[in-house]
Amino acid sequence: MPPGSFGLLVQGAAVSLALAAAAIAGGTLFAIALTPLAFSRFAVVRALYGLYVYVVRGTPLLVLALLVFYALPALDLRTGPYIAGTLVLVLYVGALFAEVFRGGVLSIPRPQWESARSLGLPPLAKFRKVIAPLVTRYTLPPYVNVCVMTVKASSVLSIISVWELTLAAREIIERTLAVFTILGVAAALYFVMCFGVDRIGRWLERRLMLRGFVGERA
Amino acid sequence: MSFARWVAIYGPTYLTGLGWTAVTAFGAAVGAIVWGCVLLLLRLAGPRWPARAVDAYVQLFRNTPVLLPIYIVYFGFPLVGLPWPAVICGGLALVLQNGAYVSEILRGGLKAIDRVQFDAARSLGLTPWNTFRKILLPQVLVYSIPALGSQVVLLLKDTSLLSAITVTELTMQAKLLTEQTGAAYEAFIVVALLYLLLVSTTEVMFRAAHRAVRWR
Repeated sequence: MPPGSFGLLVQGAAVSLALAAAAIAGGTLFAIALTPLAFSRFAVVRALYGLYVYVVRGTPLLVLALLVFYALPALDLRTGPYIAGTLVLVLYVGALFAEVFRGGVLSIPRPQWESARSLGLPPLAKFRKVIAPLVTRYTLPPYVNVCVMTVKASSVLSIISVWELTLAAREIIERTLAVFTILGVAAALYFVMCFGVDRIGRWLERRLMLRGFVGERA
Repeated sequence: MSFARWVAIYGPTYLTGLGWTAVTAFGAAVGAIVWGCVLLLLRLAGPRWPARAVDAYVQLFRNTPVLLPIYIVYFGFPLVGLPWPAVICGGLALVLQNGAYVSEILRGGLKAIDRVQFDAARSLGLTPWNTFRKILLPQVLVYSIPALGSQVVLLLKDTSLLSAITVTELTMQAKLLTEQTGAAYEAFIVVALLYLLLVSTTEVMFRAAHRAVRWR
């Protein structure tokens, strides 16, 4: 392996992880704002939610990334690739998380809704005490899957010149031609990151279950 | 420039890209399904170590981004004396990656079949081939077609990554147009719409296939 390249790859991996973490945090918040739209009283709002999810899920991440990357400067917003890249990832995984949460809300058993109503819980308390705890437990496995996907998806940003693990690897192989070693190490680093995220998810699942799982799935 | 004129002038460019994307995605999808079946057979039929190897293969590909196999094949194969065209390299990488997912999907479909049915097939005196053709295949198809459909959609979207290795598919055409014309987003909006069209068509096709094999 060419000297110094391992350090560069580890640095790249750290950037990838930071991008994914920012996207997961931002995407989760965005999805929490987005999910209620799917249950809106107004058909227009529900349709807009559906359209957003349809467009995001039906277009490649790379196309969205290029669109934002080229469109932002045209709107006189010189943000650079890192901000643009993070923004795209947030918009992208936000839609995926929102669909996950929507599924979770749909699988809350009817009696839970009825008892929340009969207790006369105000909306905020209903969200905090009934909806949030149940949805978290129902959706943790698919949520973690999307998190793993986010780590992998961050590699696409290398194409819009965000310097992270994949771009670091590509730069090194273009100079040294050590294709198999460098990409092998990069793959190993991605594997460790994705596997790590998956393990954290499983651990969280066990912990949440221990703290009392109220209500079986209907 | 108005949007209509844009489409009139650059329409043929998009059509070329659309053709490459569709052909690559179709070829890679067929390849991935065949490769997925091979992986599954190795896992089920072979002795212990091929099953282990397939398991490791699936885990590895599920936990690494598609761009890595694409780069490994595209940059690596010329070094070992296989200077293949970029489309073939990219297509092969997509087959390798998606085959791993396909084998898992089919394994899930297979697991959903009750073991008793194999006993029933034996007691009816069905040959292994007929058991496969009349009992296994129809049910596995019913269980796995929806998941296969989502996987093919993912594959279709992932063909956009081949623009990074000079394949002249849709995304590459849009990038070239943007750089040639300086128009910031028109090119990508059209391309996004074309992808939506391709994805929707694929979904409709898989839904029709699912309806066709489902029991009534």
